[in-house]
Amino acid sequence: MTAANSDHREAAAAARAEEPRPGGGGATAAGRLRWRRPEPLDIGIAVAVLAIVVAGAMTSRFFSLDNGRAILASTASVGITAIGATLVMIAGSAVSLAVSQTATVVAMIFLSTQRLGLTVAIVLALVCGAAVTALQGAIIGFWTANPIVLTIAAGFAIGGVATWISGGATVYPKGTGYKSLDSTPLGLPLAVYVLIGLALLAEWMLRRTTAGRQMYLIGENLPAARAAGLPVGRIVVIAWALFGACIALTGIFLASFNTSANADLGGTLSLDAIAAVLVGGTAIGGGSGSALRTLGGAVLIAAISDLLLLRGFSTGLQLLVKGILVLIVVIAVHLRATRGRR
Amino acid sequence: MIRRLISRPERLVPAASFLVVAVALAATPAMSGERLTTFDIRNALQGFAQLGLVALGLGLTMIAREFDLSVVGTYALGGMLAVQTGKSSAVLGVLVAVGAGAAIGAVQGGLIARLRLPSLPVTLGTYIALLGLTSAMSGGLSKTYTNSGATEWVDRTVLVVFSPRSLGTLAAFVIAALVLGGTKLGRELRAIGGDRRAARVAGVRVERALVGLFTVSGALAALGGALLSYSYASANPNQGLQPLILSAVAVLLGGVSLAGGRGLPIGLLAGALSVAFIAQIVAITALPDYSTELLYAALLMVVVAIDAPGLRQAVDRVKARATSTPSHQHHSP
Repeated sequence: MTAANSDHREAAAAARAEEPRPGGGGATAAGRLRWRRPEPLDIGIAVAVLAIVVAGAMTSRFFSLDNGRAILASTASVGITAIGATLVMIAGSAVSLAVSQTATVVAMIFLSTQRLGLTVAIVLALVCGAAVTALQGAIIGFWTANPIVLTIAAGFAIGGVATWISGGATVYPKGTGYKSLDSTPLGLPLAVYVLIGLALLAEWMLRRTTAGRQMYLIGENLPAARAAGLPVGRIVVIAWALFGACIALTGIFLASFNTSANADLGGTLSLDAIAAVLVGGTAIGGGSGSALRTLGGAVLIAAISDLLLLRGFSTGLQLLVKGILVLIVVIAVHLRATRGRR
Repeated sequence: MIRRLISRPERLVPAASFLVVAVALAATPAMSGERLTTFDIRNALQGFAQLGLVALGLGLTMIAREFDLSVVGTYALGGMLAVQTGKSSAVLGVLVAVGAGAAIGAVQGGLIARLRLPSLPVTLGTYIALLGLTSAMSGGLSKTYTNSGATEWVDRTVLVVFSPRSLGTLAAFVIAALVLGGTKLGRELRAIGGDRRAARVAGVRVERALVGLFTVSGALAALGGALLSYSYASANPNQGLQPLILSAVAVLLGGVSLAGGRGLPIGLLAGALSVAFIAQIVAITALPDYSTELLYAALLMVVVAIDAPGLRQAVDRVKARATSTPSHQHHSP
């Protein structure tokens, strides 16, 4: 069964390698000049943006500075994690279901180490988040373990150990250093600047560094990447470690914002982050995607939720629209990737 | 001998996990100091009824190498629909819920099969949408079910340790085992999960099977949700991811691999019973709650280790070096 399965995967990977890679940076100057038939995804995004603009124009207060700030602020915490999730999805590991628990644990570590000073607390939180997540990446990268099963197990382990140590109680800070992270320079939460900086940094890394380019190659065709002698295990670990650092940053900002951390702090972060990455047009199978588009996806989701909120729709309807948006983008991305093959 | 057992994890994993958990359950009197009562067994079976149907649906899709994340959304929607439409007739409520679940599954299965979409992102989108729909239906609040006759009936004790709910869940597993074991459907399902292209070439109607599979999975999840809300006499619009994660644990302990092509309904039954028994063991021995999570994590790590081809290769390499027999080095990946 294992041999047959690996054959199948190689065949699937080979088939995927023939697909054009959206956003893979392959477009040449000549290709850009040629008139291109609009793709379903482009049309879909254009329609969605147009619909928001029209509906926004008809909604009072949607196009105001305050509302723009509110949209960006609500994007920040999910967006930061989604940037990290983009790297992991590009490198072919699909998804992690341990994100909420990791963010919760990091938030607890961050708040309970406030005594040691803000810098030490941040460094400790980042190192813990990156280490725990990189460990999962190592098992996936070196041993080709299944990411879904492994991260479910990791989620149980992290959540269990956190409850064990904290005794299930809410963690309160022993210091006030964290308050400077909740500041709002120029009217925007600090987390928004971190999100934008991270998105630019991740985009640069994906396009300009060897590790970034290799993430695309590994996600696109794992057997070929192995055969070509790429350091698959090491690159996957790097992607997961950066993902862990992003989750940790989200945890730190969540902790600073809520000024306490309990077991529910992470909430629905795992799936919200995946939704943002998918709406950004990254394919779940790996090999394509971009951090800036994930940022766009996160902002789009936040803008739609905000618009529905302003028009008085319930949380339920906001979720319904978000789910349908994910479905539409997933179908459009898939149709574009497989067009010409079918 | 051991190698042969490990090479058949669809029997070894569920048998081993069920055996370990059953022995642990039988040994609980040594820790709690009290005898195991039929009440404890009945409670464990009620827990099994709570996740069994979702686990069965999820497991069947996973055998075909699909992952139906939306079951947890259909579960919530089924519960809400049953409570809102089954006020006068409980049967009508169940029928509406199951019909809606089957329809949602059929649409998703159609999309996944015809467009050859990956199932994880599609079912994630559906899950978020269904969560929103369920919440919009109830205004985001829990809804009380006032038909107390139905609430009493689904949980009434039958045959000492059973209830109509747990018996119905067991029956679903037996039917799945008979259908998959007695017809060629079982082999087709594993063929689709193992090598889809080869299955298609061999004449398996893959598209039709996938639509049917997602329809069954949606219907089972909605039925489970409907019965649960009758039992609780209320429907919760959002139960979080917990039912999905626990069902996934049950499926994985049931010997199904996310790589597809492997698994039996009887294994899924053993997996679901194992998860329910673990929760009951923790309850009986009054262990702290987090021990359940740590137990699940430990069991899943064993599954990860059995399933990871890279780890097997690494072990083989170490063994080969230790015994210096080079033939092992070329063991197929």
